[in-house]
Amino acid sequence: MTRKLANIILLFVAVSLCYGLQVSKPRYGDLIGPIPSRGRLGDTVVGRSFEVRVEKVKFAHNLKVDRFGEAKILTTGGVWAVVTVEFAARAQSMTVAVASWRGPTGLTYDQTERLSFTDGLLPVAVDPGLPKKARLIFEMRPAEASNANLLISEKLMSALDSQAEISLGPVATGSDGLPAGTVEMLDMTQPI
Amino acid sequence: MLENAGSRLKAWLMAGIGTAAAIAVAGVMGAFGARHEPVPVLAPASRIETGQWLLRPLKAYVTAEKNVYGAPLKSGGKALVLELEMTNRTAKSTKDYFEVLQPNPAIIDPATKPFIVLTRDSTLSPELHPGMPERMAYIWQLSDGAAPPASLDLTIIHKTYKQRDNLYGLPGWFNPTPIGVLMLPVGSGPDTADIQP
Repeated sequence: MTRKLANIILLFVAVSLCYGLQVSKPRYGDLIGPIPSRGRLGDTVVGRSFEVRVEKVKFAHNLKVDRFGEAKILTTGGVWAVVTVEFAARAQSMTVAVASWRGPTGLTYDQTERLSFTDGLLPVAVDPGLPKKARLIFEMRPAEASNANLLISEKLMSALDSQAEISLGPVATGSDGLPAGTVEMLDMTQPI
Repeated sequence: MLENAGSRLKAWLMAGIGTAAAIAVAGVMGAFGARHEPVPVLAPASRIETGQWLLRPLKAYVTAEKNVYGAPLKSGGKALVLELEMTNRTAKSTKDYFEVLQPNPAIIDPATKPFIVLTRDSTLSPELHPGMPERMAYIWQLSDGAAPPASLDLTIIHKTYKQRDNLYGLPGWFNPTPIGVLMLPVGSGPDTADIQP
């Protein structure tokens, strides 16, 4: 009788152990995902092939750009965020191509595709010993501006490659719901 | 002999009851609802949810203008333009809107792919960002000499989110299925008024 009971208990233990293993198994997407290297605003974040430092973040209602020699104003339904960063290549020449802004709620805003004709945007080619500044421009809902993370990687499918994950910290919100210090117009034709 | 016949009858009865019960259970679970039912007709003034997108049709018109939101159209031809408000419902910026709307092949040749333009600054097929409604224009080049249609019939395609797809184990939007048909009146020019909700 005790032997039977012991067998049944052993069976249950084995079933729950197997179930636990199945549930806690890491998914393929997690296994081959990017490898984060974390930092804060102003830190130099070191990845496998590049280093990056975020200098400043500015918010604006409109952007002034130069499209084929004529000035153009880009409006948005949310708010523009312009991040100035400095890249450095580590061992060989490389290109940084992808950046996205992950807000506090997890919504991920890719770099805008509306300014593809402006200088200083990604993709940026960087050579060792020659650090280079670049602008990352995002369009987002005002609520996603505070406590955001900036994700920067070499290419879109950065499987098993490092991804800089830079915490941008809290941003005060003004009375109109926009981040404090949001300017009416930022001039993208100015050098970085 | 008689006894034998009785047990045979019993067996037949049991089998019959079992089959009937199985069919009834399948019916209750909706096995017969999976027939191809005609997709519903959607109201033009409604908000349409397609999984990734929230759509609000605004207006459809035919125009002979050469420059429609900067789309590279052939000169001399006419274009059918659909303007609508699109909101990305997902958590990521995406441009997976090329197959959301499928016009009736009687009106537009399925081989004609539309130019999809952000009307705000005429950017051709940009990524749309989560939770930010944008006014977009779908521009189909009409074939030369084709009479402009009186109504634009569109099939709306819905996709389903899967946490892990079967091939790569990665999240994504799959299984396009039609959820409804939308019929919009086609106006005669860009000044056509927006559809009010």
